[in-house]
Amino acid sequence: MSDHNKGFLARITLIAAAALVVSPLGVVAQSTPAPASPSQSTTSVSKDRWLHVRVISSDAKGETVRVNVPLELAEKVLPAINKDRLHAGKVKIDDAHVNDVDLRALVDAIRTSKDGEFVTVQSNDCDVRVAKLNNHLIIHVLDKQNSKKSEVEVKVPMKVVDALFSAGKDELDLVAALHALSAQGDTELVSVKDHENTVRVWLDSKNVMD
Amino acid sequence: MLLAKAALGLGSTLVLAGAYTMREGVIRIDVDEYHSGGSHVHLWVPAAAVPMAMHFVPSKQMRCASEQARQALPILHAIVKELKKYPDTEFVELDDNDQHVRVRTHGDKLQVDIDAPDQKVHVLCPLSTIEDVTSQLEERAPGA
Repeated sequence: MSDHNKGFLARITLIAAAALVVSPLGVVAQSTPAPASPSQSTTSVSKDRWLHVRVISSDAKGETVRVNVPLELAEKVLPAINKDRLHAGKVKIDDAHVNDVDLRALVDAIRTSKDGEFVTVQSNDCDVRVAKLNNHLIIHVLDKQNSKKSEVEVKVPMKVVDALFSAGKDELDLVAALHALSAQGDTELVSVKDHENTVRVWLDSKNVMD
Repeated sequence: MLLAKAALGLGSTLVLAGAYTMREGVIRIDVDEYHSGGSHVHLWVPAAAVPMAMHFVPSKQMRCASEQARQALPILHAIVKELKKYPDTEFVELDDNDQHVRVRTHGDKLQVDIDAPDQKVHVLCPLSTIEDVTSQLEERAPGA
C-alpha cells in the first residue's frame, strides 16, 4: 500500500474515533432539559381544544394547581381505563336514579323546555338556582352558612349534557361528552369561590396556562 | 496495514453501535435527598439500551411485572401515544411555598420535576422508550 493510502486510512480511523467520542456528547447535549420556567410554555392557538383546571388557595401555603389537558388526549385515554364503574369511556350509574331522581327523565324535560329558571331556592343557608339559558344548563349555588360564603357556578352546554346521556340506559358517556365539548367555543364550565380557594375549569384553544 | 484495517473496522463498528445506542437520546434521572443518609442518584442511561436490556430479563420476572402492571399498561400506552402529539407542553404544575411539581413534555421526552425542601427529583425520559417498554410488557404478559 502506498504512503498516500496509509495516510488516508489513518485519517479515516482518526475521524471515526473522533466521531465516536463526540456523537454521544451531541445527543446528551440535545437531551439536557431546559431550565424550569413557567414562561417557557409555548402558546399555540390551533384546532386543539384544551381543558384547563386551576385551583388557587389563599391559605398560608398559597398552593396553586394548574392542569392543562387536550380534549383529544382525554378522549383517547378514557376508553383505555377500565376500573370499577368506568368502562370504555362510560360510567355506570345505578338505574339512572340518584336519590330517587330519574336523571334521564329530568334531562329530557330540560332539553324540551324553553329557556328559563327551573329551580330557585332562597334560604338563610343557601341560594340555589337551576336554569337553562342560551342552550346552556346553569347551576348556581351560594352557600351562606357561617360567615364564610362560598359560591359555585356550573355552566354546561346542553349538547354536552345530551351527549353525556346518549349512552345506553344506566350509563353516562364521558367520551361522547368530551367530544361534544370539543365542538364548543371558549367557555368557562365551573367556577368555585370560597374564602380559601378559587377553582376554575374552562375550555379554550390555548395550551398555555394563564 | 493490518492494524489500520482492524482499527478502521473497530472504529466504524463502535461509531455505528454508539449512534444506534444513542439514537433515542438518554434517560436522565436525578434524585437528591437532603437528609441524613439521603441518597443522591444521578443516572444517565442511553434510552435505546432499556428495551434492549429487557430482552435479557428472565421470562418469569417479565411475566410477573406484566401481571402487576396489566391494568396500567393500556392507559400508559394511550397516554404516551397522545403525548407525542404535544411537544413542549405543560400538563400539570403544582406550586406552594415549599414545593414545586411539574409534569411536561420537552420535545419528544416526558419531563417530571419535583422540587421540595427535603428532596429534588428530575426525570427526563423519551416517550418512545416508555412506549417500547410498555409494548414489551404487553407482549410478554401471561396469555398475550
